[in-house]
Amino acid sequence: MTANRFSYIFGPELYGRLLWFGRLRWLAVCGLALGALLGPWLGFGGVWPSLVVIASVVALYNLFFQGLLHHSRQAGRSFTNLRAVAMFLMVMDLAALMVTTHFTGGLQSPLLPFFAFHMALGTVMLAGRSMYLLAGGVSLGALALLLLEARGRIEFHPMIAGGTLDVSTGSLNLLTLVAALFGIVYLTDSVASRLKSRSIELLEATEALSDRTETLQRLLSELEDLERRKSHYMRISAHQLRSPLGTIKTTLRVLVERIVDPSTKRGRKLLDGALEVTDSLLAIVNDLLDLAKIREGRDRAPWSRGVNLNQLLADLFDSLATEAAERQVKMIPDFEGVAVLDWGVPPALVHAFENLIYNGIKYSLAERPLTVELRTVDESAVIKIIDQGIGIPEAFLDRVFLEFVRAPNAKQHAAEGTGLGLAIVKEVVEAHGGTVSVESPGQEGSTFTVRLPLRHTPSEAQRLLRAGNDRGYGAETHRWA
Amino acid sequence: MERKSILLVDDDEVFVEAMIAILESRFRVRSAKNGTEAFREIDEERPDLIVLDVMMDYMSEGFDVARKLREDPETKSIPLIMLTGVDERYDYREEVDESWVPCDRFLEKPVELGTLLAEVEALIGRPHS
Repeated sequence: MTANRFSYIFGPELYGRLLWFGRLRWLAVCGLALGALLGPWLGFGGVWPSLVVIASVVALYNLFFQGLLHHSRQAGRSFTNLRAVAMFLMVMDLAALMVTTHFTGGLQSPLLPFFAFHMALGTVMLAGRSMYLLAGGVSLGALALLLLEARGRIEFHPMIAGGTLDVSTGSLNLLTLVAALFGIVYLTDSVASRLKSRSIELLEATEALSDRTETLQRLLSELEDLERRKSHYMRISAHQLRSPLGTIKTTLRVLVERIVDPSTKRGRKLLDGALEVTDSLLAIVNDLLDLAKIREGRDRAPWSRGVNLNQLLADLFDSLATEAAERQVKMIPDFEGVAVLDWGVPPALVHAFENLIYNGIKYSLAERPLTVELRTVDESAVIKIIDQGIGIPEAFLDRVFLEFVRAPNAKQHAAEGTGLGLAIVKEVVEAHGGTVSVESPGQEGSTFTVRLPLRHTPSEAQRLLRAGNDRGYGAETHRWA
Repeated sequence: MERKSILLVDDDEVFVEAMIAILESRFRVRSAKNGTEAFREIDEERPDLIVLDVMMDYMSEGFDVARKLREDPETKSIPLIMLTGVDERYDYREEVDESWVPCDRFLEKPVELGTLLAEVEALIGRPHS
């Protein structure tokens, strides 16, 4: 099975060996032709025409199969049954060798060692049982040759002119040949199969290694991405701070260099302006700190049990009443049922919902209602903050939760705003296992939807529970529960 | 000889106020809070120089204003100084691409008074008063 898995490797290998074997076969053809040529001169009587015929046959089938292999490679097709081709070639080679043996002295032929040579090569190419079969076949063939020649059924062709058939030498040679054939197949097979299993192990190890390398590479690129985003965030933050700082500096410069006298009405106006910008700078810094606190300090957050969202939202209605009244926005609570989170961080949730409701007030139009809807659906609290204000342009819908992203109409409608409020909302909601989304159909007001799973138990809270240590936040729990 | 006029386009009112204080002794200075106001001001009276902030109502409004100014044959030749608190040259290089802002000077906030005056004078000449 393992071998099959790697047949894409061993296939081409067998293919290469067949081609190489084909080149060796040309040597055999040359040897035979040389033998035929030199035979009469060396005193090999009458043998040479047979050798020429054998050489021609070998040359023919070699030419045919080499052509076939080359052709199939060029056509890009994998040869479907390479093993069968290899087997066929082996049988043909051995048969040719047997015939040659017959014409060069039978079992007294000096060519007998070539059988062993062939077996070794064949075993490297076609490991396993088929080679024992071939060794058996050759042994039987040699035995038959000896018997037939001894009984005079076929003519004995001595290697040297005038030589005679010596049955006892022939028998001894036959025994040696059989032992050599099986011994060589056994030895070569065990070495080759060990090599093969090693290379399979090696291939498996390489594959595992490359899998791991891929995983590592992926992790590395994720890490790099994170690092890039972090540094991008830092750069954007720094730039956001630099802009108001630049304004403050220019203003102070104008005053310090007495281009405008600070004691004049105009100087006073510039000072007030600088103060205003300082406030907005401080607001950005505070929001950045909050965001960092939520991000870094999740495990230190005061997780409390049983956070009552109805109560939390009702308290926010109270604390935001003045702002709503100032902007003539009518806040409408629409609560159905009671939503209590198993676990929550009350100050963070207050911060998040305050941002959402305050945004609703800020971007609403006068005299329009701002509805805060609370439902419990499928073990989740679903809170919708629905305003009928300026809405959000479609292009900004999926970006408003990013840091420092403010839609142009938001900026025109209300100059103040750090661009961090919704990023904080998202961070808090996600820390509670929830989601937040926004819709602004036709830009007529916006609806922010927060989904908080009631049964979410963050790992930090679980740890507190195990440590029996949730008493520390009891006071806050009571306030919200 | 009449003083040259400068149009300041920036949504930061405090900054505009300070800039007016710096420039008004030598130039006639008007201001606009965004692109729309800027074009209204230009239609009213063609300024001799425009100082333009990049980040106004949206991140790259200044670039759009600059591009429009350069496309219009009427306003094409008005010298343009771009001013910014964020290094937009770096941030928006890719977005802006081939239509990269064709301004005469690019200055970063906070800009030194001397630098700004020198740039303004280099573009529209020292005022004769």
